[in-house]
Amino acid sequence: MSALNNPVIAVIVSLVISVAFFTLVDHYLMDMQGLDYWYLFRQ
Amino acid sequence: MGLLAGKRVFSIMALCMMVGLLLLPIVVALPSPAIGEEAPVTGDEAKKDGDKVEKGRDVYYKTEGIVVGAPAPKTTDGPKDYPRYNFESRVLIWFANQQHLYYGSFVLAVPIFCMIIEFMGVVTKDKALAKRYDQLAYDFIKISLTAYSLTAILGGILIFTFLTLYPAFFSYLSGIFRPVMHIYALMFVAESGTLYIYYYGWDKMKEGFLKWIHLSMSVILNIIGTLLMFLANSWIGFMMSPAGVDEQGRYLGNIWHVIHTALWNPLNLHRILGNMAFGGGVVAAYAAYKFLAAKTEEDRAHYDWMGYIAMALGVAFLIPLPFAGYWLMREVYAYRQQMGITLMGGLLAWLFIIQATMIGILFLSTNYYLWQAMGRMRGAEKYQRYIKYLVFLLAAGFIVFITPHTMVMTPAELKAMGGQQHPVLGNYGVMSAKNGGINVIITTTVLSFVWYMRGNKVSTVSWAKFGNIFMGVFFACAYINIIWLAIYGYYIPANVRVGLSVPQVATTLSCLFFMFALNSVMMKGAKQMGPIEWGKISARSQYALIMLATAFTWMMGLMGYIRSSVRLFWHVNEIMRDNSPWAYTHTVGFAANMISANVLFFWISILFVFWLGSLTAKKAPVESKAGIPGSVPQPAASH
Repeated sequence: MSALNNPVIAVIVSLVISVAFFTLVDHYLMDMQGLDYWYLFRQ
Repeated sequence: MGLLAGKRVFSIMALCMMVGLLLLPIVVALPSPAIGEEAPVTGDEAKKDGDKVEKGRDVYYKTEGIVVGAPAPKTTDGPKDYPRYNFESRVLIWFANQQHLYYGSFVLAVPIFCMIIEFMGVVTKDKALAKRYDQLAYDFIKISLTAYSLTAILGGILIFTFLTLYPAFFSYLSGIFRPVMHIYALMFVAESGTLYIYYYGWDKMKEGFLKWIHLSMSVILNIIGTLLMFLANSWIGFMMSPAGVDEQGRYLGNIWHVIHTALWNPLNLHRILGNMAFGGGVVAAYAAYKFLAAKTEEDRAHYDWMGYIAMALGVAFLIPLPFAGYWLMREVYAYRQQMGITLMGGLLAWLFIIQATMIGILFLSTNYYLWQAMGRMRGAEKYQRYIKYLVFLLAAGFIVFITPHTMVMTPAELKAMGGQQHPVLGNYGVMSAKNGGINVIITTTVLSFVWYMRGNKVSTVSWAKFGNIFMGVFFACAYINIIWLAIYGYYIPANVRVGLSVPQVATTLSCLFFMFALNSVMMKGAKQMGPIEWGKISARSQYALIMLATAFTWMMGLMGYIRSSVRLFWHVNEIMRDNSPWAYTHTVGFAANMISANVLFFWISILFVFWLGSLTAKKAPVESKAGIPGSVPQPAASH
């Protein structure tokens, strides 16, 4: 836990969790509607 | 001991009676085989009757049913179908409807608040705080009691206005809903009975087991109230998206189809949330008025706290309201695309710009109140320097949210601009940008709340530093995701773009739920920098509460008008035509004036109600002064 209180590590860990979370939210909630979140990137 | 046992038996009997009242309409509604109407017909009898029985096809469910009702009347403009005074009948019915709705919403919302606050009082371990909650719940129900009588009177006026000015339409509608009309009336009786027992039993059932019985009564009261509202919603749902009738408007015998129309559930959800937000706003305004008029520090502290609780409850329901509205609009589009276009892209689109402005004002007022409220706690100064960034985010979201898609212009202006859309600002007039705008506004409001909740506290958990950084990064990523999705929407086709609103909403809700939860965990056992000094808040904050309530009232009037006028020249959409001389859509200016008049009348009349309530002011049912340390009361040590 003490390592997490290091600001640099805390920012990196937080960024990884947050970016992964929001990407999953975007992907799966579009998928649930039968839509492709990555539409533009597949063109 | 004997007295206590007697009270228990009496309270349990009262509760059973309420449950009985709740179930009574259902029992009454059960078909009686003795009448023979519903008895199944088989064999030769059916064959014999086969020729006589006329069948129709449900306009929405597409099922076949036996025609049991008369067709929708084809009205003509004249004294038979549209008797009138020397005045526009539609304006009169508009006024009667709106006032009834305002009061109805208020008296349905306030008991829900009471239930929540009373429950908070029962479960809280701090006895002084529990008493304050109980007193607050009692204050709330006292306010709604006088308003309740007025709601019933306005309901009566509304029915008489319908009967007098629109007899043909009302006769048709009441014919369709005949099987549930009496249920509505009985539910109203049950609501009144329960409310009076709940109110007058407060003193007698203030402790222990009896308090739980009392709390159960509030649950039943609210179930009845909500069912009442659902029934009333089914009428407007039927008028907008009829079901259970054939194309001539003949009832096909299935009352559930008539009630459960395409828009019924979205309307139910939208109205529940809207009523709660409105009720919170009105009570907050009441508290603000009492705060401003208070002569003692003690009163100021009490009404400051009351205003805060009412505002917080109201905003808790305001935050999901735009999403419920989005669902309603989505269902409108799914039901009739043309109806959706009339609403958001055609005749009524400008009213949605006004609506966006009002929503923006609601959130700006809420944030402003929270920033002002931080002034009453020591330690919250550290957030003050960051508020300017929140102002920027709110202003940016607000400006995008209210940008119209097209402008009303002269030909010369049109030519100068090179088209109906401004080359730069026109980009912000589309849904993709607007979804981004409103989600930024709501996320910022969530952030303001989080700051407010931790204003006078310092977390003592070992991972506090990580928690703070994580919270900051999560919010930053949420903003980036919302804005990214808004921009992404410009580069993909409309059928894919429409789905982006769901992850946008989920992003905002993630901030709401996860960050509130994280903050609560971090602030458990936190070090307090100082107590919340209730009553030590600027007068400006109280005007923000009054602004909040007025904006709620105005927006409710506006949205009611939009929802109703989308039927255009139909009483019942595509079933019964409105042939009165007023079957046209008013100008935006006229509608705005009419809404303002309704708002003004409501506020004048509710001030009268508040004044009446103060005349019969009964002192606290509990020893409200108990447990308050010091000369200046501290209604709550926490939120």
